[in-house]
Amino acid sequence: MNEFGFEEIFAELIDDDRPWQLFLEALAAMVPGSSLLLLGADGSRQQQGEAIALDDDQATRLRCQAARGEVVAWPQGEGWLYVLVVPQLEATLYWRLPGERDLSGEPALLAFIRHGVAYALGEEKRREEAAQEEQYRHQIEVLKQQHGELIEDNYRQYRINQQQQEEYARNLESEIARQTAELREANARLEESSRLKSEFLANMSHELRTPMNAITGFAELLAETPLNPEQQEYCHTIRQAAASLLALINDILDLAKIEAGKLDLETAPFELEELLTSVTSMFTLAARDKGVEIAVRRDGELPPVLRGDSHRLRQVLVNLLGNAVKFTERGTVELEVVGRPRKDCLDSGGDQVNLYFAVHDNGIGIPAHRLEAIFEKFTQADGSTTRRFGGTGLGLAICRQLVELMGGQIAASSREGKGSTFSFEIALERENSAKQQPQAIAAAVADPAAGSDARRVLLVEDNQVNQRLATLMLAKQGCEVTVAADGLEALEQLAAQSFDLVFMDIQMPRLDGLAATRRIRELEADPAARASHAALAQRATPLPVVGLTAHARREDEEACYAAGMNGFLSKPIGKDKLLAMLEQFAGG
Amino acid sequence: MEAKEIVRKFSDVKTLPHVAIKVTKLAGDEQTTMHDFEEVIKLDPVLVTRLLRLVNSPYFGLVQKVESISKAVVFCGIKQLRNLVAVEALRNLFKGDDERFSREKLWLHSATVAILADMIAKRVFGMAGDDAFLAGIIHDIGLVAEDQVLPEELRQAADEMRQGKASLIDSERSRIGADHGEVGALLAREWKLPSEVLKAIKHHHDSDKNFAIPSIPAIIVLADFMAFKMQYNPVPGVPVPSLPPALARHVKDMMANYKIIVRDLPAEMEKAKELYRPHE
Repeated sequence: MNEFGFEEIFAELIDDDRPWQLFLEALAAMVPGSSLLLLGADGSRQQQGEAIALDDDQATRLRCQAARGEVVAWPQGEGWLYVLVVPQLEATLYWRLPGERDLSGEPALLAFIRHGVAYALGEEKRREEAAQEEQYRHQIEVLKQQHGELIEDNYRQYRINQQQQEEYARNLESEIARQTAELREANARLEESSRLKSEFLANMSHELRTPMNAITGFAELLAETPLNPEQQEYCHTIRQAAASLLALINDILDLAKIEAGKLDLETAPFELEELLTSVTSMFTLAARDKGVEIAVRRDGELPPVLRGDSHRLRQVLVNLLGNAVKFTERGTVELEVVGRPRKDCLDSGGDQVNLYFAVHDNGIGIPAHRLEAIFEKFTQADGSTTRRFGGTGLGLAICRQLVELMGGQIAASSREGKGSTFSFEIALERENSAKQQPQAIAAAVADPAAGSDARRVLLVEDNQVNQRLATLMLAKQGCEVTVAADGLEALEQLAAQSFDLVFMDIQMPRLDGLAATRRIRELEADPAARASHAALAQRATPLPVVGLTAHARREDEEACYAAGMNGFLSKPIGKDKLLAMLEQFAGG
Repeated sequence: MEAKEIVRKFSDVKTLPHVAIKVTKLAGDEQTTMHDFEEVIKLDPVLVTRLLRLVNSPYFGLVQKVESISKAVVFCGIKQLRNLVAVEALRNLFKGDDERFSREKLWLHSATVAILADMIAKRVFGMAGDDAFLAGIIHDIGLVAEDQVLPEELRQAADEMRQGKASLIDSERSRIGADHGEVGALLAREWKLPSEVLKAIKHHHDSDKNFAIPSIPAIIVLADFMAFKMQYNPVPGVPVPSLPPALARHVKDMMANYKIIVRDLPAEMEKAKELYRPHE
């Protein structure tokens, strides 16, 4: 391709006189106003500026003089014509410069002319150099621009990537939020369904307690009738089975209550010593039969009277002690109680004491891997235990929940075959006030013969089985019992005759126990009405009313008191509880 | 045969690969990101290999070796890569050589026009040369289509031109029914090439069209003229029509510039050899 040079490609655009033209233009630019003429040897001519008047002879003569290598001067108009040969162009240059005299002898002018010619001859080359420089500049500009665009494009891509990442992060966040909300909702649904289940269980348990009332009650009554040995044995079995069934129902009820969040602890004064004694005495007989000894070890400062829920504390201790006795064939079961004063609470005046309880046995023990599981519901150390020792597997679960409610934590440690220890520590308030003696819960069992004066009792109860049972039990205590099937009948009876005490069922048709009691209190407050009711007219004090209900919940009890009742019995009604009420309200 | 018909028949047999068409479309869209571009090119692994070879050739004079398309996009930019994709796609269409018409010589001619156009755009006018290069490499695609669909008619037209009976365009119109400017422009439209490029393809033989200077069509006419003069010609030995007057004036004014371009062309062609030399 080298053979095709610029001249070949653009031949038709290239003028032959271009070099002369460039040369003259360059010289003319040096001295504005000067005139120029180039004459070639072949007679070709090119001029620049004002025409130079010169005939051929003169021109030839001047050229010949100049051919010797000199600059020849010749006057012309208002200036001088300087003539010299330019061999590079194969031509003679005639250059008219303004001026009054011939300066061809002046070295300065000669130097100017020679340098000017040399410069003008380089015009083509200079133009190329300028063009080259311009091309470099353009190329650099284009490169710069392209780099600018590249950087812009790259930055744009970077921004897009960043935005995508942000978008992704946002999506992730909202996705997490959505899933969290879903899980929360699912969890709430589960909790609700668990609560509903517990509620159902609680209700079921109440339903079970009503017939249980009849079974235990009548079995109790049956045992007091003359029976032959075989009948006694049957009766004993029925009572035992009923008792364990009742215990199970109570356990289920407790657990259901705890899980439904409906179990509230009471705070009342109690005697620690009495609690310990009553708990241990429950097992003394059974333990002695097996050859197991029950011991109580006391340590530290043990205040005689404390405030707390003695009923629930007793329940925990009975459970732990019962287990210990059950799983120990022979040896010792020890109940350890340690009092640890809480110094940190002395200042706050809340005078609390930490009580540490531990039940040690040297029974069969629990395998290490089962130690945690035994506190789960329906779980025992191993499946075979149930068959061998009986029990529901609910006891420890209840214990753990109760201890946690009391602010403690139950712990178990065991060595298989050596024995186990169950322990917990709870904080209880010290009861210092001496006058607030704890209520005597268990009243002395009254001698049936003591109340020879027949006490008149009105039993208001709609269930016929319960009517019979309560009537029989009261009659056994020497009471004269009148039965009313509902609240309205009760009011009629109260108008007709006088009574020492009313046992009032709560749930009854027509007029329920609470409404009937409120009505009685209203009648008592109205002198006219009082006079028209035999049972109220002669009394100096309000007629005692004791509520009976299968619902053992505290709110039921509270509702009874709110309606104006004096006492409350939850079914099943045992002989002891009935007696206590009789003693309290219709004192013998 | 109408230009449309030629394009239809040509497209039935041969056309740019799918990826190349997608790439030229993307390059024309302002919204295109480097990432989009990259993803499309990656669809064709053979293309990726060839592109990387071109990117690393002396033509780009990169200091760093580029080993991935993502890097190539970052270093060369979308338009340069588009040109390389077009080169790779077109190269396969310019195959075949005979006495009367040679696609291979046409390929060399197209490469020369592309490189000259790029040089003129950058050096004389100080503008980016990417579109000028694309227009140059693709300006005679119409001839390839005609050769594919009506080979004998095209050869007859070429013969006529060689014998000095008529210009190629006129002979094409009478023998074929369309000229390669028309056909090429239709193909360019199908490939969604920039409108300036399309205009350059359509009118590169219209000597009476007065294109603005600078513009892609003007640059292509000038580069085509120069390449013809240098005998990079599918139909060797034919007389080359003169430059349109406006362009002739421009060249006269910028003579020193074009002298340099002619001087530097061989070196540029050598650097770009990887782009146009036939694959073994």
